[in-house]
Amino acid sequence: MLLQLNHIYKWVKQGGKRVFLLNDISLDVEEGEFISIMGPSGSGKSTLLNVIGMLDEFQEGEYIFDGEPVHSLKEKQRAKLYKEYIGFVFQAYHLIDELTVYENIETPLLYKNIKSSERKALVADMLDRFNIVGKKDLFPAQLSGGQQQLVGIARALIAKPKLILADEPTGNLNSKQGEEIMELFKELNTEGVTIIQATHSESNAAYGNRIIHLLDGSKQLQPQN
Amino acid sequence: MLKNYIKIAFRNLWKDKSFTLLNLLGLSIAFAAALLLAMYAFFDLSYDQFHKNKEAIFQVYYTEQTPGGRALATSMPVPFAPALREELPNIKHVTRYMSDGALNLEEGKELNLRLIFTDPDFFEMFTFETLLGSADVLKENSKISITEETAQKLFGRTDVLGQSLNLLINGRKEAFTVGSILKDIPITSGLRFDVAVNFTHSPNYAENLDRWDARNHSVFIQLDEGATPSALTKSAASFTNLHYQGNIEDLKRDGAQPNANGNYLELNLLPFKDMHFADFSGDSLKVSRAYPYMILGIGLLILFIAGINFVNMSIARSAQRLREIGMRKTLGAAKKQLFFQFWSESVWIFLIALLLGIGLSLALESPFRQLFNTPARLTDLSSSTLLIALFISFILITFIAGGYPALVLSKLGTLKALKGKLDLAGKNRVRNVLMVVQFSIAIVLISGTFVLGKQLDYMRNKDLGFNKEEVIAIPLNGKRANRQNVALLRNELAGKPGILSVSASDNNLGLGRDGSTYFSRMGFDYKGRGVATNMLVVDYDYPETLGLQLKEGRTFSRSFSGDSLSIVINEAMARELQEKEPVNKQIILDDSITYTIVGVLKDYNFQSLSKKIEPISMFMNRDWDLYYAFIKIAPQNRVQSFEAIEDAWKRIEPNAEFLGSFIDENIDRTFKRERTMTTIISSGSLIAIILSCIGLFAISMLVVTQRTKEIGVRKVVGASVAQITFLLTKDFLKLVGVAFLIAAPVAWWLLSQWLQDYEYRIELHLWIFLAAGLLAVFIALVTISFRTIRAALKNPVESLRTE
Ligand SMILES: Nc1ncnc2c1ncn2[C@@H]1O[C@H](COP(=O)(O)OP(=O)(O)O)[C@@H](O)[C@H]1O
Ligand SMILES: [Mg+2]
Repeated sequence: MLLQLNHIYKWVKQGGKRVFLLNDISLDVEEGEFISIMGPSGSGKSTLLNVIGMLDEFQEGEYIFDGEPVHSLKEKQRAKLYKEYIGFVFQAYHLIDELTVYENIETPLLYKNIKSSERKALVADMLDRFNIVGKKDLFPAQLSGGQQQLVGIARALIAKPKLILADEPTGNLNSKQGEEIMELFKELNTEGVTIIQATHSESNAAYGNRIIHLLDGSKQLQPQN
Repeated sequence: MLKNYIKIAFRNLWKDKSFTLLNLLGLSIAFAAALLLAMYAFFDLSYDQFHKNKEAIFQVYYTEQTPGGRALATSMPVPFAPALREELPNIKHVTRYMSDGALNLEEGKELNLRLIFTDPDFFEMFTFETLLGSADVLKENSKISITEETAQKLFGRTDVLGQSLNLLINGRKEAFTVGSILKDIPITSGLRFDVAVNFTHSPNYAENLDRWDARNHSVFIQLDEGATPSALTKSAASFTNLHYQGNIEDLKRDGAQPNANGNYLELNLLPFKDMHFADFSGDSLKVSRAYPYMILGIGLLILFIAGINFVNMSIARSAQRLREIGMRKTLGAAKKQLFFQFWSESVWIFLIALLLGIGLSLALESPFRQLFNTPARLTDLSSSTLLIALFISFILITFIAGGYPALVLSKLGTLKALKGKLDLAGKNRVRNVLMVVQFSIAIVLISGTFVLGKQLDYMRNKDLGFNKEEVIAIPLNGKRANRQNVALLRNELAGKPGILSVSASDNNLGLGRDGSTYFSRMGFDYKGRGVATNMLVVDYDYPETLGLQLKEGRTFSRSFSGDSLSIVINEAMARELQEKEPVNKQIILDDSITYTIVGVLKDYNFQSLSKKIEPISMFMNRDWDLYYAFIKIAPQNRVQSFEAIEDAWKRIEPNAEFLGSFIDENIDRTFKRERTMTTIISSGSLIAIILSCIGLFAISMLVVTQRTKEIGVRKVVGASVAQITFLLTKDFLKLVGVAFLIAAPVAWWLLSQWLQDYEYRIELHLWIFLAAGLLAVFIALVTISFRTIRAALKNPVESLRTE
């Protein structure tokens, strides 16, 4: 088991009343799974991914990651966990505008204090793999959306995470580019990387081997599942 | 990692060119100003600090309980120093010190030299390096020490040991041999001289050998290692009671009150290293380094203002970097690493600004030295301790100004940052407080400029009770006896057009071009009481030449034969004597000589305007020397008259330098400190304003950018250009208003403290501070309006489209 959510509640207070963003979410994820979280806009997909990615807090419930109880960990230890095991891919790419493609991909390695020669090799592999060697000295603004997202994924993968969290990775791309990204995820998954993606597109969700439906922060049981 | 930081730092700096430029501009101006001010201040602080024994050397002074209160005296009688050495323990060295002028009498090369009379110990105590010859040369009565510079001037070379030299000292010609050559006196030395001769050559040395009541020189002592000045002061009580017995009895008789220790006369020691900062004129010794520290303080304030700009701009711009921060955090950046990244970006700006600032200060060094009339040099700052201090302050500034925004940014939550949400309310409060501080400083400095300028103006234009515009004072530095030269001047100038009258006295008014100041005071018994007065030896026509007003009686006159025993006093002296009708009253000096008061002059400011007008008595005894000639000219053709006088002097004393100057110039020269202070404060406030405006400009630019959409919407809804400009401006004006409320009382208090030093001073009025505040408001308005009006004028469709 890679991670386990038990009865997670997350709420915000509005006018003295609790507004639930996540309502009694339980979820087991095995290593090697490819999970799609589906739901309309505002249903809580991003919130759930952020909780799984330990970027966000929750008020009630248990979260166990790789045998570690996340809910009772200190902020620092949590940060260490996700640094080590989790890679993020965002809808808005979130590349650093002032860094070139090469430097963007290299950044996570810098924070892991990896030696320069090793860094070079790793980044070169990644550029090769995504066929963007020719673009390595360009800045994000000089790339198309699909290319930017490729760089985003390359960056998420470079530190060899166990889990990739992708929040609508194809949301800003046209359908052809989106398909390419999905194929890539599929390929990564077969190599053993666990992937959880949020999406509101049926066709993208179908790439996963399990689909979770969210509505207003609650898991929905779908007839076909 | 570091490479990555540097790269991104420079890319960011390049991307935000306008902010980088504004920051570099502000910081480099601030660094340059701070460096120059530090140079000035440290120069002042380094006065007399080069002596190796400075910790053990003290100047001796007396605290005297007079009936009128406590008074300090640094003048000592001739037998004092030898007796001190004999009778008190723990004294390693003692030296007497008296400065005078001398004229070198070599073949037509008549040079005025600064001469000191001193004891052989002098060169053991003070660090004036002997280059040639031996340091104890003064043990031989006829040998002298001269500085290299003097040797060069006199002989055209410096290896002049054994050369003989004829000097005219106080009208007496004496022959000396050069016994040693000294390295030139450092400019930071308070003790300055060209020639040192044995104290036994001092005027009236033989007559005063055993007199304890004739005081005319300073005394310095060096204590044994481990001895404390307070122990010496205590053990000096019996010494004082023995040697000043008569003096003390007089004080008791006159009704003086003993001090807390029960003493009427007490020997005290001033640490020599404080000498440059000591003021003996009050009723207790004041050692104050306030002036250099104030200048250093202004430098720090300027740095502070520039630092505030930097902090405010960094925080305001951080909104643009939130996503990067969030992203880096998800990529695994620790707070520490983010802090270091943002901080190192600041360090680059500071470093570049420092280099530019150093360049700028080097470029401005010589105009600065001229403007502020200081011999200080930037290279004076290159001593190792100072360099370390400057380096530490630089690190501190980068740490605070660069560290605070870095800390704020690195502490942001990951998600918040990713979503681009920044809790700006709290940050705006910090920004507003900092801007208020900035403008408060600027308003205080502007008020300072106004008040100092007004006081200086007041002092320059005040009616001092004599004619300073049409009287020329000439230092009598000729070879001939001074009285003879005065007579010759009278002859030469008699009947010349524009010359109204010629007189002389033994003291100048203000500070002449000869640079010498001196006062002469005496005390005597009058009707069973001790009284004190300033003394002035004058020639005929002195009050007339200077335009002094006669109150009663008459002035010295050629038609009265006995006027060498007459005196003319001022009103303050009449009060000191407690005589309603002082004319024809008699006073007895030196136990036997009776003088008669023949006239009373209206009070006039013969001393600094920081003092009340003191008693003065004028004598016309022809046995006493005169040192300055005074010549009154007609208001027309001042230049021609001045030249005629110069020509006359050149004919009389062809080899002596003509140092004549109008008295108003001399008075002006005494305001050197006030003038420098006014210049420093006004340029300080100018820089403070420029820097504050750079900050304000940058912030207004950011605010306008942030509110572009709001402005567009408001215009679409029908707001006028004026309304929008007002909307954007009023928040800033509020800050300046608050700054005024804080700054005005502070400035009022500081400036009224400063004015306390002047007996004659301007009054502080509210409008001075209001004017300073309004000026700040006006400048702020102009600065902001560059951006706000442009934003308000912009086509709303355009601003909405850019969103
Ligand atoms: N910090 C927050 N405070 C209040 N409401 C929030 C907060 N974060 C998210 N929400 C709300 O929670 C709901 C779920 O949001 P989100 O997880 O972003 O949905 P999705 O990603 O599925 O579109 C939305 O209605 C959103 O407005
Ligand atoms: Mg979402």
